[in-house]
Amino acid sequence: MWRSKIGPFILDHLIWFVVLLVYIFFIFLIPNYLTPSNMINILLHASVLGILTIGQAICLMSGNFDLSAEGTLSLLTVLAAWLMLPYREAKLAQAGGIGWELHPLVVIPIMVLLGMAIGYINGALITRLNINNFITTLAMQLILRGAALVISMGFIMPGTPALFNWLGGGRIATIPISVVFTIVLFAIFSYILKNTTFGRRLYAVGGNREAARASGFNPKKQITIAYMLSGFLAGLAGWVLLGRLEVSVPNLGQGFTLETVAAAVIGGVALSGGTGTIWGAFAGVLLLSIIDHGLNLMQVDPFFINAVRGAIILIALLIEAQKVRFRRGMGKKPGGAAPVQAPGKLSGD
Amino acid sequence: MEDQPDKIMLEIKNISKSFPGVQALTDVSLSVMKGEIHGIVGKNGAGKSTLMAVLMGIQQPDSGSIMVGKGTFSSMTPHEALEAGVAYVPQRISMMGSLTVAENILAGEMPTNRLGFVNWREVFREAENRLTKLGLKLDVHSRVEGLSIVEQTMLVIAKALFSHAKLIILDEPTAALPRADIDRLFNFVRNLKTQGVAFIYISHHLEEVFEICDRVTVMRNGTVVATDDVRNLTTPLLIGLMVGEELQGFQRITPPHAEASQPVLEVKDLVRRGRYENIDFMIGKGEVVGLAGLVGSGAASLGMSLFGLERRGPGSVTINGIPFTASNPEQSFSQGLAYLPQDRYQYGLVGIRPVRENVTYPILYRLAMAFGMVNVEKEKKVVEEYIEQLGIVTPSMEQLVSLLSGGNQQKVVFAKLAATQPAVLILHEPTQGIDVQAKLDIYRIVLDLSQQGVAIMIISSEVRELLGICDRILVMYEGKIIHEFRSGEPETTPENILLAIEGGAYVEK
Amino acid sequence: MNKNRAGNFFLLLVDNLIWVLVVAALIIFSLISDRFFAPFNLVNLFSRMAAIGLLVVGQAFCMITGNFDLSSESTMGLTAMVAGLMMATAENGGWGFQANPLLGIVTMVALGALIGVFNGVLITRFKMNNLIVTIAMMMILRGVTYGLSQGSSPSFLPAAFDWLGGSSLFKVHLSTGKNLAIPVSGFFLILAFAVAFIITRYRRFGRNMYAIGSNRTAAEAAGIDPAKLILGVYIVSGICAALAGLLDAGRMDSATPRTGIGLIFVVQAAAVIGGVSLFGGRGNMIGAFGGVLLWGILDSGLNIAKVSPFWIEVGRGLLLLFAMLLDALRVRYMTRVAIRKALSENPIGLQDQLV
Repeated sequence: MWRSKIGPFILDHLIWFVVLLVYIFFIFLIPNYLTPSNMINILLHASVLGILTIGQAICLMSGNFDLSAEGTLSLLTVLAAWLMLPYREAKLAQAGGIGWELHPLVVIPIMVLLGMAIGYINGALITRLNINNFITTLAMQLILRGAALVISMGFIMPGTPALFNWLGGGRIATIPISVVFTIVLFAIFSYILKNTTFGRRLYAVGGNREAARASGFNPKKQITIAYMLSGFLAGLAGWVLLGRLEVSVPNLGQGFTLETVAAAVIGGVALSGGTGTIWGAFAGVLLLSIIDHGLNLMQVDPFFINAVRGAIILIALLIEAQKVRFRRGMGKKPGGAAPVQAPGKLSGD
Repeated sequence: MEDQPDKIMLEIKNISKSFPGVQALTDVSLSVMKGEIHGIVGKNGAGKSTLMAVLMGIQQPDSGSIMVGKGTFSSMTPHEALEAGVAYVPQRISMMGSLTVAENILAGEMPTNRLGFVNWREVFREAENRLTKLGLKLDVHSRVEGLSIVEQTMLVIAKALFSHAKLIILDEPTAALPRADIDRLFNFVRNLKTQGVAFIYISHHLEEVFEICDRVTVMRNGTVVATDDVRNLTTPLLIGLMVGEELQGFQRITPPHAEASQPVLEVKDLVRRGRYENIDFMIGKGEVVGLAGLVGSGAASLGMSLFGLERRGPGSVTINGIPFTASNPEQSFSQGLAYLPQDRYQYGLVGIRPVRENVTYPILYRLAMAFGMVNVEKEKKVVEEYIEQLGIVTPSMEQLVSLLSGGNQQKVVFAKLAATQPAVLILHEPTQGIDVQAKLDIYRIVLDLSQQGVAIMIISSEVRELLGICDRILVMYEGKIIHEFRSGEPETTPENILLAIEGGAYVEK
Repeated sequence: MNKNRAGNFFLLLVDNLIWVLVVAALIIFSLISDRFFAPFNLVNLFSRMAAIGLLVVGQAFCMITGNFDLSSESTMGLTAMVAGLMMATAENGGWGFQANPLLGIVTMVALGALIGVFNGVLITRFKMNNLIVTIAMMMILRGVTYGLSQGSSPSFLPAAFDWLGGSSLFKVHLSTGKNLAIPVSGFFLILAFAVAFIITRYRRFGRNMYAIGSNRTAAEAAGIDPAKLILGVYIVSGICAALAGLLDAGRMDSATPRTGIGLIFVVQAAAVIGGVSLFGGRGNMIGAFGGVLLWGILDSGLNIAKVSPFWIEVGRGLLLLFAMLLDALRVRYMTRVAIRKALSENPIGLQDQLV
């Protein structure tokens, strides 16, 4: 029974056991760890990271990186504040908006639509011009951050309207709405990826782009849609984050990118594309959030925490590299499973 | 020409090699003298590739010995093969394109002065020297990526010689070359011959073999059928040897069809610059038509461009009278044409996804409900049906495709295509890399499909296979359809077909 | 034939585009403001760009082999911080050892080399993706830098240490009556590029770099050991990063936890614009130097023209994107040329390529 049922079950869901272990580890390490407020804080951190990670996971499943999501987040939050806040003379590093004072119900759609537009540009550059996706999205991030700085002029913009803040800061009986929102998003996207034609196409394109094409799919379209979703989710993440902080900070979201990649990889999304689940990525997000939160409570220097994140990424990569060796894939490596005849490199045979 | 012991460059004695399920080489012996250009010809599957792999040390023989230069080996590593002087020139040349010719020649041994600094003048001079010694004129200052294909080929040969290669294996070197370049290459090779270099020349272009080779070895079914001086041979003789007993009544694997009823696929005046031209043919309902041709004949390209994986040129294509306008696979499927790719690993299947998903990729739209949700019940039923119909051996439909055997993987691709209920099915080398039992299964599947009325085209160079299941066989050569053979007619013999495929010039019997 | 000429011209243009841009930038900015061409400004440009220039050298080495080192900015920060902490007095933010400046420098360089070894081993021995490894290292090293500094920025470093980055070689008496200080760092920058140029052009190591970057398998077949070579370039990159730290700390007379943050984009951009291809096997140090120059000119010129620093950020990103586009097009063009050549010579009978 162990071998056939329990063993594989643990292996398939290994990450959840790791999460549990780490959590227990912190229980021993930190006094009074097992409080509702701590759990909520963990989930709060997990919410923004989580939403961004969904986007990253989708891109990774299609076989690409999106390193620009944090830039999108930064730009959209700055833009939103800028559009919603009344005009105010800038002083003491604080400023107001442009003065249009747009209603949040107008600004929120603008955010997500703009996020999708940015994703579209990423997708177009990468699929049509065949530029390396890593460097493209990295450069895009630079541009987006720059744009965020241009609009904010380096100032923070406090005072976002209450209606806007509802998602990020509101609570229903002590449970933050943003956490519920995040979990709902995970559920929705997990369902989409598992049960819809879109999910199938995405996995196919990421698993073997050429075979997907020969099966009637359009890899360029799929990849572009993946990037658009990532941008869309960055917009949602921005809405949550800005609503929670109630002030727009010019350099928001720095460092999120690698965390999203790490969370996805830890959660089972292969860097080579074609596999992984959204809930698995959530486990990765939880793990990182627990570690983050726990180390914070222990008053570890924040930059050491960043270093720990980097180390986790390296470890996750090492494990991933080992997994690749065991994964006999088709389409990624020439030859695949052993052919019956001699190597087909020579002509004729 | 007698074998003088001290002039033997290479001697292969009784080499046998088997893989699981197939005996690739049986008791193969051949020898190559110094300064000889020795051709090796044979159909696909005759064992040429395996033999070369053994020679290069990539594969280890089960028995037998190889004598190269001074040493005798019962098995070799690639490194030992190189050391012994065996060099292989592949069809796809791969050099350091962004570097100059001189640097490609001298990579790893750049001349330096006393202080260890590269002496560029010496670099170019030395490279120039080496090339001149071989009678090769190239601009050593130009980047390799800017050279023409024949120049790159000659450079690769030159490089091998600089590394003290004594035996050079040329694998279809003229596939992409115009006549003028072929002449250039042959002159170069002849020149090297006088310097004692030995060549093994593998080619399907028999006229070329006659032009450049001294002796020829014919292989068939993993054995050497004959070795003789080229002057004692003729093209028909060679083909006869390549085909062998199949001459006497080949087995018709599937029963012949009734006369083709209405045409399903009609192609007129199809042309694609650089690939094929003047393509006119028709496939009737339930007909199985073979399309045979060498690499470079345009057959493969025709298949891919009909399906939409490659661009198609002008010309008219209709299916059941309706114009077929598909320019990509998705449109092809919906307009009734499906294609089985030659390389299932790269183009056929997504290995890390399960069987169930792979089978239903092209028909997802049919299984979709509201909001794009997949009706898994329906899907499982469909996949279940095909697994049974085609006899796919798999623990479950959730099994990752990469874990199946080659034959079953191919059946999965068939299932996928059959599920689209095509009017026309194009198969490209459908039994490549599959064991014998699975091959028979595939033939049965093809027969079933044709009985259901699907018009089938099989692109293959396996003459026996084509003769076994096709009603008609079209032969392509250098971009044109040069002949149509009909099943049951006297001219439709393996020799004639092979003659047409390999020789191009078909002689009426 | 005409198409061929046009093609060659295009290639020539792209290969030397950087100098066209440099000249154009010089002209534009001197037209915008006469303060731009002032001797003081131009000379200052060199000393400001020195640190970045060293980083570009290291990055170019990696890129020529087809790899990236995105951790160099953090290596720069960490090595500077370690040296600073070793040498500065306790009141000035150091550990109080007041170490000998020479020891500080040696430690920096050794540490940089060590980080290079670590990167190189992970990438060659463990076959990990070079982009992600170096980005992860970038994060880790930055974290360690902050951790070590505990928020302090050691300053008032020994004069001997500051010499390379901060002092002047000699003074030139100008007609205006002022004295113009010619910085050591400017010379060092030029020296570094000169040495790099010599290595890449005239040493086997350098030529092997191009071989590996151009076609790794072919290079291996020629007897070049890719693992050793790639390890080597990462060590070079690490040492260059340490030298960049030395230049920067010397110029500012202090080491901050934020030293080097964000530079990686500038460095990439300068290298790519200077002709060092992302795909490997292409580009040279002269072009890379041009890239550094261009950057300095843009930096200085845009500042003088009082362009908002934030627009500069955007501009940088766009420039990088533009350079990458050009790079991708250039490589695509090269393969097109080969195919078109083959096509034009023989219409039928080509090997069926999966184009």
